[in-house]
Amino acid sequence: MGQMHTRMKLASLGALAALAAIVAPVGAAAQDAAAPATTATQAGAVDGAQTAPGAEALPGNLTPAEAAATDTQGEAAYTPMAPTKGKGMPTSFEDDPVKSLGFQDQYSNIGDYARWMHDSILLPVITAISLLVLGLLLFVVVRFNRRANPVASKTTHNTMIEVVWTIVPVIVLVVIAVPSITLLARQYETAPADAVTIKATGYQWYWSYTYPDNGEIEVVSNMLDHDEALKRGEPAQLAVDNRMVVPAGVPLRIQTTATDVIHAFAVPSLWFKMDAVPGRLNEKQLTIKEPGVYYGQCSELCGARHAYMPIVVEALPPAQFAEWVKEQGGTMPGEAEAPAPAADAAPEQVALLTAR
Amino acid sequence: MAGTANHDYHILEPDIWPLVGSISALTFTTGMVFFMHHTPATETEPAQFGFWPIVLGLGIMGLIATFFMWFRNIVIEAQRGDHTPVVQLHMRYGMILFIASEVMFFVGWFWSFFDFALFPTPLSFDEATGATTSLFGQAGAVAQFVPEGMKVLDPFALPLLNTLILLCSGTTVTWAHHSLIHGDRQGLKQGLWATIALGLLFSSIQAYEYSAAPFGFGGNSYASAFYMATGFHGFHVIIGTIFLAVGLYRSYLGHFTPRQHFGFEAAAWYWHFVDVVWLFLFVAIYVWGGWGAEYH
Amino acid sequence: MATTAEGFDVHSDHGHDAHDHADHKPGFFARWFMSTNHKDIGTMYLIFAIIAGIVGGAISGIMRVELAEPGIQYLTWWAQFMGGGNDLNTALHMWNVFITAHGLIMVFFMVMPAMIGGFGNWFVPLMIGAPDMAFPRMNNVSFWLTVAGFFSLLFSMFVPGGSDPGAGTGWTVYAPLSTSGSVGPAVDFAIFSLHLAGAGSILGATNFITTIFNMRAPGMTLHKMPLFVWSVPVPAFLLLLALPVLAAAITMLLTDRNFGTTFFNPAGGGDPVLYQHLFWFFGHPEVYIMILPGFGMISQIVATFSRKPVFGYLGMAYAMVAIGVVGFIVWAHHMYTTGLDVNTKMYFTAATMVIAVPTGVKIFSWIATMWGGSLEFKSPMVWSLGFIFLFTVGGVTGVVLANGGIDDNLHDTYYVVAHFHYVLSMGAVFSMFAGFYYWFPKMSGRMHSELLSHLHFWTFFIGVNVIFFPQHFLGMQGMPRRYPDYAEAFHFWHQVSTYGYYIMAGSMLFFFVNILYALAAGKKAPANPWGEGATTLEWTLPSPPPYHQFETLPVITDANDYHDHRPVTA
Ligand code: HEA
Ligand code: HEA
Ligand code: CUA
Ligand SMILES: [Cu+2]
Repeated sequence: MGQMHTRMKLASLGALAALAAIVAPVGAAAQDAAAPATTATQAGAVDGAQTAPGAEALPGNLTPAEAAATDTQGEAAYTPMAPTKGKGMPTSFEDDPVKSLGFQDQYSNIGDYARWMHDSILLPVITAISLLVLGLLLFVVVRFNRRANPVASKTTHNTMIEVVWTIVPVIVLVVIAVPSITLLARQYETAPADAVTIKATGYQWYWSYTYPDNGEIEVVSNMLDHDEALKRGEPAQLAVDNRMVVPAGVPLRIQTTATDVIHAFAVPSLWFKMDAVPGRLNEKQLTIKEPGVYYGQCSELCGARHAYMPIVVEALPPAQFAEWVKEQGGTMPGEAEAPAPAADAAPEQVALLTAR
Repeated sequence: MAGTANHDYHILEPDIWPLVGSISALTFTTGMVFFMHHTPATETEPAQFGFWPIVLGLGIMGLIATFFMWFRNIVIEAQRGDHTPVVQLHMRYGMILFIASEVMFFVGWFWSFFDFALFPTPLSFDEATGATTSLFGQAGAVAQFVPEGMKVLDPFALPLLNTLILLCSGTTVTWAHHSLIHGDRQGLKQGLWATIALGLLFSSIQAYEYSAAPFGFGGNSYASAFYMATGFHGFHVIIGTIFLAVGLYRSYLGHFTPRQHFGFEAAAWYWHFVDVVWLFLFVAIYVWGGWGAEYH
Repeated sequence: MATTAEGFDVHSDHGHDAHDHADHKPGFFARWFMSTNHKDIGTMYLIFAIIAGIVGGAISGIMRVELAEPGIQYLTWWAQFMGGGNDLNTALHMWNVFITAHGLIMVFFMVMPAMIGGFGNWFVPLMIGAPDMAFPRMNNVSFWLTVAGFFSLLFSMFVPGGSDPGAGTGWTVYAPLSTSGSVGPAVDFAIFSLHLAGAGSILGATNFITTIFNMRAPGMTLHKMPLFVWSVPVPAFLLLLALPVLAAAITMLLTDRNFGTTFFNPAGGGDPVLYQHLFWFFGHPEVYIMILPGFGMISQIVATFSRKPVFGYLGMAYAMVAIGVVGFIVWAHHMYTTGLDVNTKMYFTAATMVIAVPTGVKIFSWIATMWGGSLEFKSPMVWSLGFIFLFTVGGVTGVVLANGGIDDNLHDTYYVVAHFHYVLSMGAVFSMFAGFYYWFPKMSGRMHSELLSHLHFWTFFIGVNVIFFPQHFLGMQGMPRRYPDYAEAFHFWHQVSTYGYYIMAGSMLFFFVNILYALAAGKKAPANPWGEGATTLEWTLPSPPPYHQFETLPVITDANDYHDHRPVTA
């Protein structure tokens, strides 16, 4: 009974929060307009790290856990980074009612732009349209009900207004289309030649990640069961035994494919989702802004355990990534015993297959 | 006055065949599922769905009975004079719309054909075993529609002959139509006989060609698209031939008049539709699709 | 044909002699199992849709209850109930079976039969002044094929789809999950279910188009037809042209599954994404098939209860045509994450958003119809007001999804689930209830209780919003669809959503009680219970109309403009 009560209370809070979400866009817009600027500096910091390879330049705002993980770098073996609550994972209503209503915080270059586009353009526009329609309905209900207006008019035409309500939506849509097309163009920028390639392969029901530029190391990634995940301080249902480890701040070339049925490689906090289709290699670029643990889940119905093949991307500073690669028995490109980059065979197929 | 229909529409009495037809259709599809999943008994497992022929057979019989009775009823109603000009107009609409939906059905098959042809993947074909292997991901593999090592049918042999046969049948059915309009019963029968004969000839050649084809059913995308598209066309040719045969039978019974003969016209429309589909199949699949591949 | 009917004690001389009158009905079996009467067939479609709605709604209840908590609660029990094993995988497979059945039942056996089969059959002939449909016998086979399809789908739930019972492919039946990924007969039964229902729909579409083009009463020109009549041939054309492509696609599934073709099997050069193109070439028009008749009903109702002719009649009619046409060239917006190239994605983004324009014309024209009107809030009207608002909410989230770059995050999340339930479970279903309360007196000859139908509206309105509004939040936070189990962070909003289901389920009691009450004890309905705003032909007939109406065709003269569809004499 007591539980029931808390639930009810939370529910009404939720309703309030929903209201807030509708009223908020204007504020959110203001906030977000500022956001890209900070992003730029962060990205700059990471870029700096990249141009000075080997330097200990670590991007700022690391959580203590991450910092701890970085400290041990060099000596100790790789230990999975501890996740930061609310970063790279969904936020519950109990933890943060407002955050639980919208997108996860974004940690990729595309994500910032996309989220800005949604929160500052789309959400305000659709909220305004919905409220306009609601307002008009309430108005006619109050003003033109039978008591208020016993005799109906017979007006059935007004060319002017009809033209207006055709043209205005067209304009609104154009306003949406411009950033939308820009977003698509940015998402499809091809990754630079030196981008790190990771090939994610979907299986029923787990993922495997291979690193063709790093000596074909392969990571097989299975979901941790509920208790094991909690024991390791990770969110149940989202945690895996072996993560997809990548360098932060440098362009990645993510390829997806599958062997049995279609899966989809999706990480909400990186604004990344791409189907893994048997017989086809999909490819898209991705740059993760800062180190962290980013959780995702298979997002195409793939059979019974579709809900049980999560994705965990662990982004490390490039130097640490190199360490990790060595530890896995791989090599960094340009190193002496680097095998012929296997990625060379790939581009042909990619061109071939993505044309469809 | 109540109860007096002062209009030319066709108000029908209740009829059992829609229900029988639907039950038969369900029986048929259920029988198909049993057929596709039946397994003989093994030491450990009993046979599964061994009774499929009964279910499938009942379904097919029910469907044939339904079609037969349904069209028989329509003919009886037509002879009775129920098909007023407006009802005939309905039938014209019905037939045109039906053919439009059939066209879209073939669009589906052509879509898959063009998908495979325009965006091929590398495949190799072993003529001895008839097996196809995917070379996807292998360095140096060349993507081509007709799998490496597979021969296709020579379009300018029997398929061209079949094209001429169908084109010819299009003229004979028009001959029959003109004869009918001009009250020449004899010409109608001759034209129809000729059309049906050409239709049967087409189907026979097609059957022969399937049996002699250098590749089996399925196994790779070329064979799949080829057999399903031409196969469904062949099925439509058979339906069209039956349709024309009914028309021939009715012309012996003297059902058609120069002014009212929609049963014939519908069959002719259908036949032209089947003809046009073939032209697309011939140009797209036989000629263009096999271009550059080795002919059988 | 008379000879077949005789055995069943029907009035066998189709004579038009004096003692035969318009209300003479055949015996029970002949009337309901051999029907060639558009009103009886319409009634059967409606009853069938209500049954399917109960089944589909009950399945969604099973789903919502399971989703109230993370972890697997009841699926294991259900797995065993359906004849499956006691292990986790079977339980998880059951989830996929439930969502598949729910989606297919709601789409193919609830909304389509109710809107086009039910209301279309009942009111298209009445509104154009025709005695019946063009092909009465074919009309009946359309109905029974739909029933046959429903049975095939039910069979599929109880036979193995591999080691486990049922087809767990999602209503989209994507290959290769539906081919190499699901052995066993269940998926074949589900595929045949679509073949059967699809055949019924194609025949029905042919029938409606022919009827509307050729059986309008003298003077009822196309531009004088009531908007509900406009809203039937447009989806009928979509059905006619889109369903055969689906038929081809699912036939490819069948042959891939059973006869060794490789349409969707990459090992033989096939392409899984091809299936998605073929499916959505049908699937997107399909969603407009489900909503256009709803648009038509809302137009009738809003005009009636505003006592005002509909605003911008021609714009309303041609907006539906435009939606239908553009609906054919936007299909790949369901496939933004499959690896389309950038130009394709840009094209589909732009094309999809275009549909907001004609849809906006409709929304604003409804409001303009009410503007200056004398509004009366009878139950059909409140459902229509609810429709206009909630459909707008669902429509604008569609515009969000239309942006290929934004959809990259939202695709296959609960945001999509929220979107399409706003347009379906609120849009389509609200318009169905509006239409039902609008025409129930006409169909049954009895008045329903306005109190109960208002209670039904308000509780349903609250219930469905509580179910589906929070799903937007879940989707944006990243909750994927088709998941029976989820991370703790999603718990709260899922639980709220399930509470909404309970409200909605309770609300449906008002509906059922109302029907039973009306049939048993409802006041007798007059020919026109809605007053002077009701200007279409069906209100000139008694309630219920005679078994055969318009034996003398009504004549609509040129003096009646397209806002008054009644004959001058009526
Ligand atoms: C009745 C059914 C129906 C209707 C009417 C719609 C209408 C629309 N839908 Fe929806 N949709 C579905 C049913 C429907 N949809 C279903 C079932 C799915 C999921 C299928 C599955 O995967 O299982 C889906 C999925 C879906 C997707 C794919 C999402 C994904 O899987 O990632 C997209 C993307 O573009 C989309 C877009 C749209 C758009 C733009 C409209 C537009 O037509 C909406 C237009 C309406 C308005 C915009 C509101 C009114 C307009 C105004 C008030 C004017 C002013 C407005 C503006 C200027 C914006 N829908
Ligand atoms: C018309 C379509 C329709 C309707 C009405 C509904 C109604 C409901 N749906 Fe459904 N749903 C779908 C179509 C529909 N859905 C589809 C296509 C999917 C995707 C499946 C897939 O992923 O493959 C889906 C998926 C889906 C999911 C996601 C599952 C998942 O991804 O894991 C959920 C979860 O909450 C859900 C819940 C509900 C609920 C609680 C209702 C409730 O609103 C139900 C309440 C019941 C009714 C509103 C019906 C009442 C009507 C009548 C009784 C008939 C009346 C008749 C006359 C008036 C003539 N649905
Ligand atoms: Cu893998 Cu879903
Ligand atoms: Cu769509």
